[in-house]
Amino acid sequence: MEITFDHVTHSYNPNSPTANLGLDDVSFTIKDKLFTAIVGQTGSGKSTLVRHINALLKPTSGNIKVGERVITSETNNKNLKPLRKQVGMVFQFPENQLFEDTVEKDIMFGPMNFGASEEEARESAHKMIKMVGLDETYLTQSPFDLSGGQMRRVAIAGVLASDPETIILDEPTAGLDPVGRKEIMELFKGLQEEGKTIILITHNMDDVADYADEMAVIHRGKLITEGLPKEVFNNQDLLKEDLLTLPKSAAFAKELSKKGFQFDKLPITIDELGIEIKQQLNGD
Amino acid sequence: MDKIILGRYLPGDSLIYRLDPRGKFLLTFYFVGIVFLANNVASYAFLLAFVLFAVYLSKINLGFFIKGLKPVFWLILFTVVLQLLFTPSSHPIWHWGIFTLSKEGMVIAGYIFMRFILIIFISTLLTLTTTPIEISDSIESILKPLKKVRFPVTQVALMLSIALRFVPLLVDETTKIMDAQRARGVDFGEGGIIKRIKSFVPILIPLFVSSFSIAYDLAIAMESRGYKDGEGRSKYRVLSWSKRDNLMVIFMAAVTIILLFLRSY
Amino acid sequence: MEKIISIKDLNYTYPDAKHPAINNLSLDIYKNEWVSIVGKNGSGKSTLTKLIDGLIEAESGTIAIDGQIINEDNIWEARTKIGIVFQNPDHQFVGATVEDDVAFGLENQGIPRDKMVTEVDEALKLVKMSDFKKRDPQSLSGGQKQRVAIAGVLATKPQIIIMDESTSMLDPDGRRTVLNLVQQLRQEQDLTIISITHDIEETELSQRIVVINDGKIVQDGKPVEIYDLGSNLRKFGLEEPFTNKLISTLGDKLKLPEGYLNEEELKQQLWKLHSIM
Repeated sequence: MEITFDHVTHSYNPNSPTANLGLDDVSFTIKDKLFTAIVGQTGSGKSTLVRHINALLKPTSGNIKVGERVITSETNNKNLKPLRKQVGMVFQFPENQLFEDTVEKDIMFGPMNFGASEEEARESAHKMIKMVGLDETYLTQSPFDLSGGQMRRVAIAGVLASDPETIILDEPTAGLDPVGRKEIMELFKGLQEEGKTIILITHNMDDVADYADEMAVIHRGKLITEGLPKEVFNNQDLLKEDLLTLPKSAAFAKELSKKGFQFDKLPITIDELGIEIKQQLNGD
Repeated sequence: MDKIILGRYLPGDSLIYRLDPRGKFLLTFYFVGIVFLANNVASYAFLLAFVLFAVYLSKINLGFFIKGLKPVFWLILFTVVLQLLFTPSSHPIWHWGIFTLSKEGMVIAGYIFMRFILIIFISTLLTLTTTPIEISDSIESILKPLKKVRFPVTQVALMLSIALRFVPLLVDETTKIMDAQRARGVDFGEGGIIKRIKSFVPILIPLFVSSFSIAYDLAIAMESRGYKDGEGRSKYRVLSWSKRDNLMVIFMAAVTIILLFLRSY
Repeated sequence: MEKIISIKDLNYTYPDAKHPAINNLSLDIYKNEWVSIVGKNGSGKSTLTKLIDGLIEAESGTIAIDGQIINEDNIWEARTKIGIVFQNPDHQFVGATVEDDVAFGLENQGIPRDKMVTEVDEALKLVKMSDFKKRDPQSLSGGQKQRVAIAGVLATKPQIIIMDESTSMLDPDGRRTVLNLVQQLRQEQDLTIISITHDIEETELSQRIVVINDGKIVQDGKPVEIYDLGSNLRKFGLEEPFTNKLISTLGDKLKLPEGYLNEEELKQQLWKLHSIM
């Protein structure tokens, strides 16, 4: 599903002395079936931005088109279920949303809210638990007996179980160890390859370089730039103003270019960097 | 959600802000008591003048005080109408069934209305100009004598201050959990009463779980920083009673004397 | 070198758990060292912190802090020598304001108020948070809260600071400031630092890495030696260092020295290869 922000402004506590702009006139399009990363400093408005896509927040002005659906300040709170079924959202530390007495029931919770039969929801739970890398024996356990990393996986399964077309991820790997982090990122990349649209909020620029097709940079509620990661990371103005940090490979290439090495565009992944270095060293 | 936060302290600086919170706390209660001594137009007018003067000294916009009336608006309206229509009188202006409208009723309704205004304004003044932690310190200081009867005053005060410290965090946590469950298709304002109550289970359980985990982490952190059982601790935050607090007490005494005089007037 | 912590044959099993969380573990840590303790989630790293600080009691084995074996009677004294900065910035902030929080540990020791005022100011200066003295925790970023937590620990003048995954919930900016701060403090204040972490950059700052797996120490060495383990690192919950990954994509054709190279060394080597082309 294509998602279009059209002059979206969101003000927290409007008409009060503490009013502040969460989003300031944001316009851009998140393309269908691509992996889009949204980056920006803490408090820049990334989370505010994505909460508009499933109407957890509504714009103060402007509108958001999610497929056929248009969300404006007037959008009614009723009838949001079809939208929220299409747009799944994995929050930061999603393990905090678990509440049922078994893992199975917790995964079934979403699909059943969205109108699936018990049979369908159970089938989905069995499929999803394997997808997140746990086996079916976990289904009968209490989610509160699991380790933090396992709870995280169960929570992610609970969001995937409703089979959303678009999946929003708000720093889904925060606090996980490197192995767990990689597995979770590969899972989402795999889902994209199956035809889902993925939107990832992250501070990890290496993840952006490794997984994202497109990226958007948010700063103080404004969209600063969007485009291919390779282009954005080569935007000198952004780097000068400290609005963006480089992925490790790009930072290393930049260092190398101080002496001898030359890069038309900074490579952003290790593989790209390796190829460039080899070419420049032995010309093959 | 932010409408219900305890205290609603408004950062600022003025004479009222600088008063010792213990004095403010006790004098507020004292004032609420003497409001009930007022018995005629002159005495109510005098008390209103005093409250407005205090509001003026606080340098806070009157609008904040009027906002303070909002949550109890219906209660005020109900009480006033009740007095207006049910005060028995020998000279009713209007009479219908059990309803009686009279001059006495109107006067009593007016007095009740004034009492509400006075009490709400003065307590709003206390909460707007005093941080929750200052109030908790005041309570600790005022209850100190109870230590003699082995009442754990310092422990209770620490509990209170920690509770106040964690209210905003739990409010955030609640908002986050609600958003997460709404994203999973929970609709809070939908269906019959049973369905609505049921829809809060997915909020309450995660909230309990996180509260317990916060409490556990906090207990470990406190113990690692040497918190034992609350005995033998010194205190960093101190309250200081100054000349202006004495003046305030004297001023309040004068108000009481004038009030007593106006009462019998 | 003088031992500041000496752990011998330590065992601990959580109630209801099948496997021990700490399994016959022995470890010495020396004064002014920065030791990283790494391992997968659930390897027993955080349990070890709690045992060292006497927050949970070992089944068998001994822990000596500054030459004294800890027991029920002297644990409070031992705790004054150790400061811990925990993972979640919000779950360890006790005070209503920054200064109140820093004072908490001093209050517990019954320090007179005049002395507390100067010590709180000093500690806040060390972590560069003096301007935030009167602020409440809600108005601070995660990194700022952790700096306050470090100030709270420093105020009581400990000899050892344990960073229990204290940077794992911070954004890159916050992480960098906290790590630089710890680095600087260790040099200025003669502190011993134990950092429990998954973060490869954090281990690069330390002088020694101890790898724990299933409650046992499986590796103990200088960072260079540990990074040489290559892809085995992932088994221990650590990412391979960036330079290792880059060298393996470069292949064997390039003549690079054996063993681990840090970024600076790799850069120099590549420049050398480039210049002799």
